[in-house]
Order: sequence, then structure tokens, then C-alpha cells
Amino acid sequence: MLEVRGLSHRYPNGTEALAEFDVSVRAGELVIVLGGNGSGKTTLLRCIARALDPAAGAVRVNGTDLTRLSGEKLRRARLDLAVISQHAALVRRRSVLANVATGALGRHATLWTALGGLPAGELEAAHRHLAEVGLDHLARQRAGTLSGGQAQRVAIARALAQHPRVLLADEPVASLDPEAAEDIMRLLRRLAAEEHLAVLCVLHQVELAYRYADRVVGIRAGRVAFDLPCAEVSREAVHRLYLSEAA
Amino acid sequence: MIGGAVPQQGKLVAGGASAMLASAARLAVLLAVLLIIVQALIVVQARPQDLITGIHGMADIIRRATPPDFSHIDDTFWPALETIDIAIFGTIAGIIMALPLAVLAAANVTPSRPFYYAARGLIGFTRSVPDLVWALFFVTAVGLGPFPGGLALAVHSIGMLGRLFAETIEHMDMAPIDALALTGARRLQIFTHGVVPSVLPSLLGISLYRLDENIRSSLVLGFVGAGGIGFQLLTAMNLFQYREVSLLLIVTFVIVLGAERLSAALRQKLA
Ligand SMILES: Nc1ncnc2c1ncn2[C@@H]1O[C@H](COP(=O)(O)OP(=O)(O)OP(=O)(O)O)[C@@H](O)[C@H]1O
Ligand SMILES: [Mg+2]
Repeated sequence: MLEVRGLSHRYPNGTEALAEFDVSVRAGELVIVLGGNGSGKTTLLRCIARALDPAAGAVRVNGTDLTRLSGEKLRRARLDLAVISQHAALVRRRSVLANVATGALGRHATLWTALGGLPAGELEAAHRHLAEVGLDHLARQRAGTLSGGQAQRVAIARALAQHPRVLLADEPVASLDPEAAEDIMRLLRRLAAEEHLAVLCVLHQVELAYRYADRVVGIRAGRVAFDLPCAEVSREAVHRLYLSEAA
Repeated sequence: MIGGAVPQQGKLVAGGASAMLASAARLAVLLAVLLIIVQALIVVQARPQDLITGIHGMADIIRRATPPDFSHIDDTFWPALETIDIAIFGTIAGIIMALPLAVLAAANVTPSRPFYYAARGLIGFTRSVPDLVWALFFVTAVGLGPFPGGLALAVHSIGMLGRLFAETIEHMDMAPIDALALTGARRLQIFTHGVVPSVLPSLLGISLYRLDENIRSSLVLGFVGAGGIGFQLLTAMNLFQYREVSLLLIVTFVIVLGAERLSAALRQKLA
């Protein structure tokens, strides 16, 4: 479903953040990426989603190489790919419900949506997605008034509204309390298993990775350190990811 | 030992020198400011003694201007409405023209560089030409009355509104906009669902502030024949009807204060 080959990225200031990175996620699979701060995890997800233009490599979603697309073709390809970014990135002045429903905009080409309206059906669906992340009671509240963890869960609901085939999540539980974090991981697990999504998720919580992942990919200095089924990942290998470069 | 002490002493001397330099600079600034004030007094030919000898004349005018001639209050209603409506027309027309220009003149959303520079140039030009000059220009073009006044305010407002609108758009948080783009939303949808709700309250606040300023400008525009209270004031002055002048000044005061209060209250609501 998602196939990344030889993905490389260098920032304009010369930092080589991603080098020859390979990873693939099948439909129904939850792959978790572990790696230290600055190892290139966010860069990887941003390159996959074409929020950054990778210097080299291919990103195939359902066989289509995203790195070769632009304009309307890229927009269409993006419908299948939802991104939950490290920071919630909600429109603060709008209601929680409206923020969730905007996730579905790409599927609608009506004058009403172009003028800032949201289809009634999508607002209804947004209620369901909010319920899935446990926040339906906040639907009418302004997004700018949410706590960090609540905002993160709303961003997840917005990704669900998109009906993606591939879900990229950058530390989706970073500011959640332990209970909420478990809920979200269970939700991602269920989306993979029941809705056959390919889920690629960056985490810093090693225990959650062991508990929920099908496969774990270790990243270090922009390169793949290991890529193994969850059961075969040793504590030692994970520990090595977080040692400083000098060690 | 000695080797270690010498650079330290050097540092001390350098510290003393820089302190002296700083106080010399302060003295220079003080002298410059004094110089500027003195030359201003000379150039405007300030003669305080004339104020004292003029007291007689001023007292005479004030005596002739009191009490205000409230019997003419009915006649001020129409010019007052005209003054306010010139400002309303000017502000709305200004907003309509400033909005697209601001989108072009905001570095983060502009479709292309040439448009950006053209919009910036136009905004700068309309702002740098005073509204009185625009009014003279439009009075010549379309004749006397409130319409040229409204046009003058509209064009002059483009400058201030365009610049502040563009700044608001440039300082907007781009993360939600980028997130919306990644969902596969179309350009126009990203604009109406992401950009517009993020900046609308600020744009409304700026517009209300401009309306308040335009009402004050509109009072003066009458002096060059562009309708409203200003025109009435000019006529009354030329006819030496000082009691009517004082009535008009009271009406002006009420309008300015009312507009200021209303605009401030509405802006408070938006925040
Ligand atoms: N815009 C940028 N310009 C230059 N260098 C950048 C930029 N963004 C990230 N980097 C660098 O690229 C490297 C990878 O950054 P990235 O954000 O992908 O790390 P990360 O694995 O997501 O870290 P974290 O766990 O802290 O989120 C880092 O060395 C970082 O300093
Ligand atoms: Mg990151």
C-alpha cells in the first residue's frame, strides 16, 4: 500500500536529515517508527506526504509514485493519504466540529464548500469521528480553546474524516495522558485491522510500540537502523537508537 | 603573572573608553534634539507675544459664537448624515479594493512576485497621497458634493487597509493552512476554510478602526467642496455666522466621539 524507496532529503542549510530510506507498510499493518530527537522522523513523514520535496527516492501509494506528481494529480493522490502532524494545526477560530469536517473537503467540489460552507452529511460524520476520539461533547467549542491533548485528538478525528487508505502519524500521543494514549493506539490498531488502513506512526513511547506495532522501524541519523517484526525487536537494539552519536 | 595582568588592564581601559564614548554620544543626541526644536521655532516664526495681543480678538470671536445657535439644529441633520455616509461609503469601497490587493501583497499567499510588487506599489502610492489631495482631484473629476468625498476616502483608505490587511495575512499561523493542503483540499477551499476564518476578526477590527478615522477625515473634506458638515462649517465661517459655527463644532464633536466609542466597543467584542 505504502512503499518508500531510497528517500533522501537535505535541508537548505546542509543538514542531511534523510538518507536512502526504505520502508513499506501493507494495508492492515501498523508500523511504528522509533528514533531519537533529530533522527529524521518528522522529515520522513513530511517527505512522504510531499509537504517537503525529497531530493531523491520514490513514494508509492497504491502503486502511484507521489514524488513525480504535481498540481491536480498530486491533490487527488493526497486524498488517500492522511497526515496527523506533530502539532495539531487546527484553525483556532473555528469550532471543533468544523475543523474535523474540513478533513473531508477534498472529496467535495461544490460551490458551497468553495464559499466556506461544509456539507451537512460531513458535519454529521464529524460527530461520529469526534466520538471515536472521545470528544463529541466538545463539538461546539472553538478549537483555539482546547488543551494540547484535546487538540491532538481533534486532529486525529480530522484525519479520519478524510477516509484515507494510508495514515501517517507524527507522535499522535505526545501530549496525551496515559489513558487517552492507550485509547488512541487502540484506535489506530483497529483502523489498521478493520478498515485495512496502512498506518505509519512515529512514537517516543517504546512500551506502546512493543504493545501495538506489527513491525518496528528504527531510524538513526536519517537511515534505517532496523526493520523487524515487533517480536524480534530486542531491547538492546532500541536502546542503541537513543545513544548519542559520539557513543 | 605580568603577562596575565596586562590584557586585563587593557580591557579596563577599553571599558573606560567605551563608557566615555557612550556619554559623548548621549550628549550629541541631546544637542541634535535641541537643534531640531530651535530650527522648528525659527521656521514656523513662533511669536508667543502675538498670542497675548491676539487675546482680544479671540475673546471677541468667542463672545460672538455664544450661545450656539440651536435654532438651526434641524439644518445640521442632513450634512451630519452626509458626513457619516461619506465615511461609510469610503470605508466599504476601500475594503473591497484593498482586500484583493492585500492578498497579492502578502508574501506568504501571493500568486507571483510581479503581482506582489505591483500591489505593494499601488498600496504605498494611495497611502502617500493625502486624502485632501484625492478629494481635490475627484471634485475636479466628478464635480462638487459628497460623491467625490467618498471616492477620496475610498482611494486613500486602500493604502492603510491594504498594508494592515497584508500584514495580518503574513503573520497568520500557516500550520493549519498547510495541514488543509495535505488533506487534498482545493486552493479556493483552503482559502475560504483556512485563511479567511483565521484572519477575518483582525480584518474587521482594522476596518472599524478605519471607519472611525474616515469619519474624522470626512469632516474636513467638506472644506474643499466634498459635501457634509465641513462644507457647512466653511460656509458659516465665510458668512461670519459664528453662533452657527459653534453649533456645527458641537455636532462634529458628538459625531467624532460617538464614532470613536462605537468603533472601540465593537472592536472589543471581536477580540
Ligand atoms: N527546516 C529545517 N531546516 C534545517 N534543518 C532542519 C529543519 N527541520 C529539521 N532539521 C534538521 O533535520 C534533522 C531531522 O529533524 P526531524 O525534525 O526530522 O527530527 P525528528 O526525528 O522528528 O525529531 P523529534 O523527535 O525531535 O521530533 C535534525 O537534525 C534537524 O535539526
Ligand atoms: Mg519530529
